Amino acid sequence: MKVLLDNVGKKYEGRENFTLRHIDLEIEDKDFCVILGPSGCGKSTLLRMIAGLNSITEGDLIFGDRRVNKVPSKDRDIAMVFQSYALYPHMTVYDNMAFSLAMRKEPKKLIHERVMEAAKVLQIENYLYSKPSDISGGQRQRVALGRAMVRKPKVFLMDEPLSNLDAKLREHMRVELVKLHKALETTSIYVTHDQVEAMTMATKIVLMDGGKIQQVGKPEDFYNRPENVFVAKFIGSPTMNLIEGKMNGGKFVSDDGAITLNPSDTDAQKLKEYENKPIIVGIRSERFITDNITENTLDCTLDIVELLGKEKTIYAKYSNGTTFVVTIPGHLQFKAGDKYKLVFDKEALHFFDGETKLRIN
Amino acid sequence: MKKKSNNLYLGDRQPLNTMGKIGLGLSYMVLILWTIAILWPIYQMVMSAFNGMQQEYIIMNKGFEFSFDHFTFLFEETLYPKWMLNTIFISISTAIITLLFVSFTGFAYSRYRFKGRKASLMAIMIIQTIPSFAGLTAYFTMYSIISDVLPFFNRQMMLILIYSAGGIAGNTFILKGYLDSISMELDDAAKIDGCSNLKVYKLIILPIARPMLAIIALWSFLGPFMDYLLPKVILTNPEAYTLAAGLFTLIADKENMNQPAFAAGGLLIAIPTVILFTVLQKQLISGLSSGAVK
Repeated sequence: MKVLLDNVGKKYEGRENFTLRHIDLEIEDKDFCVILGPSGCGKSTLLRMIAGLNSITEGDLIFGDRRVNKVPSKDRDIAMVFQSYALYPHMTVYDNMAFSLAMRKEPKKLIHERVMEAAKVLQIENYLYSKPSDISGGQRQRVALGRAMVRKPKVFLMDEPLSNLDAKLREHMRVELVKLHKALETTSIYVTHDQVEAMTMATKIVLMDGGKIQQVGKPEDFYNRPENVFVAKFIGSPTMNLIEGKMNGGKFVSDDGAITLNPSDTDAQKLKEYENKPIIVGIRSERFITDNITENTLDCTLDIVELLGKEKTIYAKYSNGTTFVVTIPGHLQFKAGDKYKLVFDKEALHFFDGETKLRIN
Repeated sequence: MKKKSNNLYLGDRQPLNTMGKIGLGLSYMVLILWTIAILWPIYQMVMSAFNGMQQEYIIMNKGFEFSFDHFTFLFEETLYPKWMLNTIFISISTAIITLLFVSFTGFAYSRYRFKGRKASLMAIMIIQTIPSFAGLTAYFTMYSIISDVLPFFNRQMMLILIYSAGGIAGNTFILKGYLDSISMELDDAAKIDGCSNLKVYKLIILPIARPMLAIIALWSFLGPFMDYLLPKVILTNPEAYTLAAGLFTLIADKENMNQPAFAAGGLLIAIPTVILFTVLQKQLISGLSSGAVK
């Protein structure tokens, strides 16, 4: 089912300002939409509004072609997985999973079939009659998913469902969730603050900050073409290197005059009208070249070299005090204290307007 | 090297030094004295309740002869069975009314935001500090007003009303605190699963809060057993007395004086409470511990 948010806003009672405002979002049928953002950006509020757990102050929420602003949660044909799993502690796993169907007075036989089916998919058949307190975190997580699955909802909502799992299990469940999403053929809306989850699972990412949507798009767009400085900083680890400066004679000159960069020809076209205006230039840590090129080079001292296995993270210090984060394959030999010439890849520079913080090229 | 074998350990710590050992001895002494202070009167009560040679004063006791005389006296010569029934009636009514109201008020205060929520909670807390005996004149006025409108409203019912009103106020706090520790996500999950507000409460919250409700029920049940002052003042007819008020007549004046019967009556009071404790034991323990850990 298609989910459409039209100019949605939320103001909590007793607060002066809107927590969320002017949210326009279109989530297509069978999309895996990840709402990403730092804590306190309003992403959970948005999900709870879609779920009907929080009221909508302004705007329209449309499921398919039905406006559901005032429809109670239970009639929205949704299911939700909570961060704490919210399993009913006094019921067995089976009863937990059967609860929503039992509430809808479905026949016992159908309930049993659906629960068994879900249990088989999630491999939790062996402890259907245990209490939630007797099973492990990963198993609880599966039960929570199972409880949402048995209903066969049109929209599947998840609120940071993996944040309570350990790293290994999280990696595993990421894959499982994507498989599950494909098998169920529902629309999934997933809230997280973890960019890795967003990048790996989503077909569509919505990045939010300060109650506003910063960018909507495919994961690769987020990495390769961040629309503003916030997105550029938020996505990617290590964080993108950013230098503040001005355009001067078709070249980028940093504020203290120490760094001068030549943009590529296509970028230069777009930067023409920014002559003498503040600009922020960004480069991803892996887009430095060590080849012998004379353009856009900086002589740096390697401050710290971190070995991460498949790659090394280098903190390189330029003479004016700026530190660049550079990643290189792990097998290359670099030692702290060495001096090296860093070359900026012209094709991989991101230019942002220094005032509006929006992308230029 | 001489190995010390007489080291005293308290848990997984350094062995006790001399001062520590003296301190430990003192602690034990205090505890033992305390135990005696509690057990001695109980022993006296049990002994004199079963002592056939006992006259009307417990202190003037010469020798021991086992008999049920005092119990027979209680049941045949006094209104004891009536008092027992009165007390149980008042206790059960109080417990039921308190439980019914508290479970709703606690839920409302814990789960909903409404105008005057904070103010009314404060008011309840402040009113708690005033002893219920202070409202005596108010009780009499209230009683005469209510009994004018509803003729069947007797003084025992007034007593139930006072007990449960006090219980509702105090226990609302306790239950609210307990319910606050139950995650709101459970409510949300239940709502998405298709529950109305009342069903969320009935099917999800109530079963989880059962241990706490058991404790509240027990406390409100025991209240009327313990209280002497209010029944003595409010109930005028000996037929309507509760156990505490009734038994006191056996030691209050020279004519009716029968201290061993008083002891026997006191012993019998323990029976319903012991039964209740045994029945609710499992619930009570889990309620106390889970409340403490969370």
